[in-house]
Amino acid sequence: MSNAAHRVLWTALALLLVAAGGVALALNLGLLPGVEPGDVILGAGLRRAWRLAAPWSALAAAAAGLLAAAGGLWLLRRELRAARGAWHGTLARPGRRGRTRLAAAPLARALERDLTGDPRVRRARVVLTGDPPRPDLWVRVEIAADARTAGLREHVGTAIRRYADTAGCRPAHLDVTARLDAAPGPVHVAASGRIVPRETSWLRPDRRGSRGP
Amino acid sequence: MRTANRLATLLLAVALLAGGVLLAVEALLAAAGRPALLTDAGGWAATLGDTRWDDPAVRVSALVLLLVGLAVLAAELRRWSPQRLDAGDGWHLHRRSTERRLAAAAGSVPGVHRARVRVRRRGGHWWPRVVATGDPATRAEVEFAVRQELHRLTAYRPDRVEVRLSRRREA
Repeated sequence: MSNAAHRVLWTALALLLVAAGGVALALNLGLLPGVEPGDVILGAGLRRAWRLAAPWSALAAAAAGLLAAAGGLWLLRRELRAARGAWHGTLARPGRRGRTRLAAAPLARALERDLTGDPRVRRARVVLTGDPPRPDLWVRVEIAADARTAGLREHVGTAIRRYADTAGCRPAHLDVTARLDAAPGPVHVAASGRIVPRETSWLRPDRRGSRGP
Repeated sequence: MRTANRLATLLLAVALLAGGVLLAVEALLAAAGRPALLTDAGGWAATLGDTRWDDPAVRVSALVLLLVGLAVLAAELRRWSPQRLDAGDGWHLHRRSTERRLAAAAGSVPGVHRARVRVRRRGGHWWPRVVATGDPATRAEVEFAVRQELHRLTAYRPDRVEVRLSRRREA
């Protein structure tokens, strides 16, 4: 489930909680017409109706329980699937006799392997959605410490062009997110006081002892 | 909040699954005229049949429901920090990892003992805000280090880099 879906779910649940709490409070204070604050929560009429409807009332409760369990199972599977990162998207195209849906996992894995061919990319994840000839490409790369993203953009661009030529498609939309590995500081101050970028600083003889306390 | 939402959803899913199965089993047993396994539905019905709406316990429960609901609603509806930062041309940087990388850059400047970076934004613009302890004279170097790191990442170049340097308290 996406973050937006989680947000919608919990906003709806919060509204339900507010509504339930508000109604219960209004009943407690006698603000709702038709119900006296001195009435019991589960009245004799309701209990009689439950007994009269037996065994259908119990079967209705069983059906409600099964529905709740199915909902819980669906939610659990969605959460665990997202945690495993198994989602690679689906390519779909409407045809004359229905809709063709194509699991995009093999195509996505091929591009992932190509992307991780560069040692700067520690991990890559690709999701393909949309129309097969013009798919939407969602790429997430984990970049190793000290890697420059300038070269990486070219690497990703080349891999995508290669993928597009092989698969015979043109991506309609490209979205890349780079996650950076934590690194020690990118610069150090040389003995002369000059700030030197780290990727070259380790070659300098004046590196030792140049760091501050 | 995203992690909290996921954990809460997992808990909700497990509760729905366990509670739903238990309700279905107990209801089927009741329909078949068999004794209940774990729950005492008769006892619950008797308790609810004796409790009046103006009971203090009902008021407390209603208030708790209302407050929890309002708290969750406020947490979900407030403006969240973005998960990623626009770096142009369809590229984005993961916000947390960028903040960590920039903090490491600021912390590497001699004279700076500890640095923390948070990205601030307004509209489509964002800029880093560095809060560090160390020698206030290193302010320019800290700003340079952060800009240099952003340059290395070829990220969007912010108009400004906020640096707040406070002297380290001597023990």
